[in-house]
Amino acid sequence: MATTTIDRATGVKEAIAACCDGALLSATQPSPDTLQFAIEKTVMRAIVASLVDNFEARFLISVGTDKRPITGDFAVSHVFSLDHDHLYVLLESPVSEKDPRIDSITEVIPGADWAEREFRDAIGVHPDGHPDPRRLLLADDWPEGVFPLRKDVPYNYQPPRAENVRPQMREPPAGASVLPIGPFFPVLEEPAYWRMFVEGETVVGCDTRIFYNHRGIEKLGESALTYNEIPYLAERICGICGFIHSTCYCQAVEKAAGIDVPRRAKYIRTIMLELERIHSHLLWLGIAGHIIGFDTVLMQIWRIREPVMWLCEEISGNRKTYGMNTVGGLRRDLPDQIKPKLLETLAAVEKEAIAVRNAIVGDTTLQARTKGVGPLTHEWAKKICAVGPPARASGVAIDARIDHPYAAYDEVPPRIATQEAGDTWARVLVRVAELLESIRLVREALLALPQSPIRAEIKEDIPPGRVGVSVVEAPRGEAIHIVLTGGHNRPYRWRVRAPTYPNLQALSAMVAGANIADVPITLGSLDPCFSCTERLETVDPRTRKVRVYSRGELLEISRSRTRGGGAR
Amino acid sequence: MTLWLIKTSLFCLLNVMIALFLSPLCEGIMRKLRAALHSRFGPPITQPYWDLLKLLGKEDLRSTGGIVYALMPAATLASVLLLAALVPMGVAAPLAFAGDFIVVLYVATMSSVLIMLIGFASASPYASIGSSREMMMLLSVEPILAVALCVGAFKAKTLALVGIVNWQEQNGPSISMAIAGVAFFLALQAVAGKLPFDIAEADQEIMGGPLVEQSGPRLALIRWAMWAKQLVLAFLLVEVFFPWPHFGTGLDLVATLVKVLMVLVLVMLIDVVNPRLRIDQAMGYFMRVGVSSLAALAFAVIGK
Repeated sequence: MATTTIDRATGVKEAIAACCDGALLSATQPSPDTLQFAIEKTVMRAIVASLVDNFEARFLISVGTDKRPITGDFAVSHVFSLDHDHLYVLLESPVSEKDPRIDSITEVIPGADWAEREFRDAIGVHPDGHPDPRRLLLADDWPEGVFPLRKDVPYNYQPPRAENVRPQMREPPAGASVLPIGPFFPVLEEPAYWRMFVEGETVVGCDTRIFYNHRGIEKLGESALTYNEIPYLAERICGICGFIHSTCYCQAVEKAAGIDVPRRAKYIRTIMLELERIHSHLLWLGIAGHIIGFDTVLMQIWRIREPVMWLCEEISGNRKTYGMNTVGGLRRDLPDQIKPKLLETLAAVEKEAIAVRNAIVGDTTLQARTKGVGPLTHEWAKKICAVGPPARASGVAIDARIDHPYAAYDEVPPRIATQEAGDTWARVLVRVAELLESIRLVREALLALPQSPIRAEIKEDIPPGRVGVSVVEAPRGEAIHIVLTGGHNRPYRWRVRAPTYPNLQALSAMVAGANIADVPITLGSLDPCFSCTERLETVDPRTRKVRVYSRGELLEISRSRTRGGGAR
Repeated sequence: MTLWLIKTSLFCLLNVMIALFLSPLCEGIMRKLRAALHSRFGPPITQPYWDLLKLLGKEDLRSTGGIVYALMPAATLASVLLLAALVPMGVAAPLAFAGDFIVVLYVATMSSVLIMLIGFASASPYASIGSSREMMMLLSVEPILAVALCVGAFKAKTLALVGIVNWQEQNGPSISMAIAGVAFFLALQAVAGKLPFDIAEADQEIMGGPLVEQSGPRLALIRWAMWAKQLVLAFLLVEVFFPWPHFGTGLDLVATLVKVLMVLVLVMLIDVVNPRLRIDQAMGYFMRVGVSSLAALAFAVIGK
């Protein structure tokens, strides 16, 4: 197995190097599953096109890096996954500071749209020929000409306040009116702004402005934190799939530094990742029910979900944001005495999940609201580079756990659930199947859990200039972390891509021609990700006294409520 | 004459009081039931009263000016209270002399039309969409109510609601009235704005539709009107289609109340086990219900 992978990697490497011809600057293999090519920027578009045509390369993300302190140039790399060959391919071009432009690849790969706008905003390299070069990442009042990920911009830079700025939005086509969804809307748990262009009740187009929640996490990781502090920040990228982000980051650093993680840690990571998928999918099913007005589904499914949260709390000390990951393994072991309880809870959740599945599958009204709604065609899913359940529900059988096995998935492989229809109903079915599959995976991983230390000892400093690409299959699709190591015990560049990023780009095609009533569930069927707050303030209306609850007090209150000790 | 006037006024007052002060209690019971089916504790049964009290005490915020916008909430509640006086609720309808069941239908439609007008006057895209959905629902549901009552009128050979009720009471169940009653009940689900037909409000899609710009006392009046309307229509359903068994004046009122509660519980049960339909799906559904309610008319013609 190992030798064939290496053979294949060598073969692909030679083949790609051959198509680069004279424009190839260097070809390296930073880790067994990653190939890196440096090429002239003039041939970037052509090589990307041939990668897509000849190697079935799937675009993941672009990374813009300010390498001026090292090489004197900016660098733009496009990252691809060769799913069948289990390889990542990085195509990197130097872009000189005097002419900060590079040919856009969005024409070749529609899914590269946001990625290119993002590196333009972040480091100021303009994608030439981009069809929609509006601002994406930066706030509307951020000054022109300041690119936050350039190394000469400090992480705590505060631009002057600007007045009267508005997002640049497209005008509706003639005869259509605008129905705003957001920035705050009942079914959006985080700010995001869609302008639906509607004729009567029919959507004829839409425009989006998002990134209201941009928190500058990458910049913080590159300039203020150290390798071992970042996992806790990474875990806070998302309120639901936190463990996925911290695992993904740790794996990227481990790969870059060549650290071998002990088997037990890999198994426990697998268990926690799958527990996260279980509670995330249950959360989603509930919310999907709520979106179409089926609150009974919401309430019952969240009741089923609750024991999983208690389990996580018992394992890690927290319902969410476990803080278990560290570079090289884990900080906290899975105690053996929790095994019986874990299995018992899983059995209970499985029984109820099956009951829910049977109820859902037989519900004709539910099907009336989801069948044929929000269609994502197989072709467009591939072109827009959709990931996760939306991709699998459109017949694109990709899953990072199979394509790029990490943690213990090489020994407990999942069975991928796919559907062909590409509508919301198909996405429901895929997620329900994944939910049951995850329960099986946790059980298998638990039975096969080996005895070993849980953390590798790291004696030497992590050398600079190494690249690590890591992908983790989150409940919503694949999360990607790319780390370029640097000095001062921190990454030189840390790139994060959440799964909602490509999936949201598919939305405009999915709602075209839809009824307004179907827009929320179509959006919801992508399971867009949202963050949580961790502190709360109350004001007594009579005394006007402000009381700030501490974390401990909040924890106490919520525990007493959920366990039936408090209310009534 | 004076005695008659006083008596009529008292009965009017009784009906209006029932509609006003019993409807929040019914809503409270329905909420509690929904919570039980959700595995929740749910709010106390008296919560709707507190909701109204709280909303009535709030500042009156208006998104636009204009007399239509200003007066609509009060007019909506008034129209429902008028409806209450036209419908038999345990005792004969106090204002029965004022008109037959066609008047009742008109008055019943008024509140929906008024809410629609509020939506159109709110200058909000969500409210406009909600109002046009409300209109489509009204157009699909209204004929069913009309056909159902027509069946009664046909059988009793009178347009007066009192006559229909009396005839039904004396003649007992019949196939045509049973079908018409079921059709009326299905339409009630939509008129009460319950799932799967709360399409005009659809919180998750259009944020409350016609009511998106309503708050404080205005919202209180509209909510109150809607709760009262679902109660009054439940009374109408019970009185016209299921008036038996007959116990005598005092007990009748109690029996009717129990039956009305049962109807509302059934409405709630349907609400809890359904997601919201799309407007086109709902219209198609009521088209089918309407066609089947014609069967009731056919049965009535052949005397069943």
